[in-house]
Amino acid sequence: MSSTAEITARCQALFEDLNFSAARAWKAKAPGRKVIGFLPVYVPLEMIHAAGCLPLGIFGGGDQMEVIHGDAYYQSYICRIPRSTIELGVTGRLDFVDGMIFPFVCDVIRNLSGIWKMMFPNVWSKFFDTPQNFDPSIGGTYYVQELQELREGLETLTGRKISDDDIRRSIKLYNENRRLVREVYAFRAREPWRAPTSEVYLLMRAGLMMEVEEHNQMLRDYLDAAAREDRPKRDNVRVAIYGSFCEQPPLNLIKSVEMAGCYVVEDDYALVNRFLTEDVPTDGDPLEALALAYLKYSVETSCKYVPKEEDKGRFHVEAVRKCGAEGVIYATPSFCDPALLDRPMITHRLADAGIPYIAFKYAENSGQMQPIREQAGTFADSLKLWS
Amino acid sequence: MSEIITAGIDIGSGCVKTVLFKVDGTKAEWLGKETARIRNRDPFHLADDTYQHVLKQAGVKRGDVAYVASTGDAENLKFSTGHFYSMTTHGRGAVYLNPEARAVLDIGALNGRAIRVDASGKVLSYKMTSQCASGSGQFLENIARYLGIAQDEIGTLSQQADNPEKVSSICAVLAETDVINMVSRGISASNILKGIHESMAVRLAKLLKSIGASDGLALMTGGLALDVGLVSALNEAMVKEKVNLVAKSHPDSIYAGAIGASLWGAFRHEKLTRLGQAA
Repeated sequence: MSSTAEITARCQALFEDLNFSAARAWKAKAPGRKVIGFLPVYVPLEMIHAAGCLPLGIFGGGDQMEVIHGDAYYQSYICRIPRSTIELGVTGRLDFVDGMIFPFVCDVIRNLSGIWKMMFPNVWSKFFDTPQNFDPSIGGTYYVQELQELREGLETLTGRKISDDDIRRSIKLYNENRRLVREVYAFRAREPWRAPTSEVYLLMRAGLMMEVEEHNQMLRDYLDAAAREDRPKRDNVRVAIYGSFCEQPPLNLIKSVEMAGCYVVEDDYALVNRFLTEDVPTDGDPLEALALAYLKYSVETSCKYVPKEEDKGRFHVEAVRKCGAEGVIYATPSFCDPALLDRPMITHRLADAGIPYIAFKYAENSGQMQPIREQAGTFADSLKLWS
Repeated sequence: MSEIITAGIDIGSGCVKTVLFKVDGTKAEWLGKETARIRNRDPFHLADDTYQHVLKQAGVKRGDVAYVASTGDAENLKFSTGHFYSMTTHGRGAVYLNPEARAVLDIGALNGRAIRVDASGKVLSYKMTSQCASGSGQFLENIARYLGIAQDEIGTLSQQADNPEKVSSICAVLAETDVINMVSRGISASNILKGIHESMAVRLAKLLKSIGASDGLALMTGGLALDVGLVSALNEAMVKEKVNLVAKSHPDSIYAGAIGASLWGAFRHEKLTRLGQAA
């Protein structure tokens, strides 16, 4: 029986390893194995798994990597994740990765896919363009074609066909993964002192760097351990964190927010395995099932178009009420166009609903945590005393 | 609200301050207080020691304390019920010590902050000094060491100055260089200290102005609150900067953070009890 500390230590080792030794070891275990890197916010990992490949989450370089070459490829007024991803590539840390998928987040990530094709012509690269029209007859039809293109790209890379049954088997495994992930989040929302966000975050990040079967077992072990262990409850406030769906904050920022007296009971960190909120059907056409799940049962982020302005932020208000958060910290990466363009609309919606909030910016390598602690701490004080 | 006992523990950069209160609605009775200089010791052990000491002073058992509130750098204090930030606690503590206070200047070992409060001690706005240490107690302590004088002599010596020297208010390194030059030029310790106090006072007066503290009483809290030289330099600077405030100190100013934590702890406990969620 592993403890939460042991599980977290293993996850942290994976999270901090920018040479991706575990994924390299997985690839070396059998000839012909392929590793497919993917960027935030969402990629249907079932497709990669069904192709017999290992999906590997590439979430930038974090705060432990100095970006030297990456800065030369970009102007100064954009976020850091494309620079550090380039740095990972140029420094050979991703030299074992056979393919890269760049899902739609914003223009910067879309353009990164083009840069990757030019810089690494021998690596299969795909810009995965998720639909912005949520009518199944339009966006759905388009998305099925996009999934089919992804399937064909993976087939060409691996040299083997991906059958519908392969995809259905993978969907089943990922449904289990999503169920367990939801369970961990529900547990954290109920008893956040037993499942700190700094641990849950590492658990989720590590899960995007290993086989799904292994992650499923790890999630079960964590839930068992967290329920078993007795941890003291403090008089902290319950907050939701939004705006952090792409470039991730440094782990120290997450810890600082918790240290400042906040129990994080809802967040949009590393959304990949929480993007679909319900099980994907395992009967019928699997591509249509994945497409419909995306259109009907996926979380709202700033990367998705919301046709009616009055609907913007409704998702956040409902989520805050569901998890019982007392306030929202809208924490966005500097220069994150989607999150920062949405910020006024979402925070107005929160204010209209009487939900207190604060907002600040960070970069994946932010090092000075004192201002974050002060802001989050005084916000927690105001919620404790005067809300 | 029934009578409860709450504790406040303030871990600063130089000192741990602990207080104990008996609170019944708006009535607060101060039961005990204790400070301990950190001097390279573990502040969390000192917090525990001072807490035990105030409990003994008041004849109270640990289990009788309804809420142990920490403040300052005590977020990781294991036995605290909850933590409040320094702005919140110094504001409340200042109003407890002097109900006329509508602004607070908390000047500790590493930085200073100006806080505007209402009559209940609720924070209305605040600002901190920038990263530079030249407005802090640690800097003043270093200068006293260079000059070979005891810390408690600083204030009275400063008040004896007849021709204060101008000191850089930008940077502690430049200010220290200034001081070395002054010593070699034979400037008296009084004039050097007054110069430093004036430099700090102008920055603090501007800080008060920037948070919109326009009139009334500004209570000084934190480790430098009892430096009479700084208090008088600050009052002079406020006249020059056209800030219509009077700076005052209180013999227990050093406890303001701990007092605020203890009293807000009582307030919070009452709120949680009302909501059926007492910690």
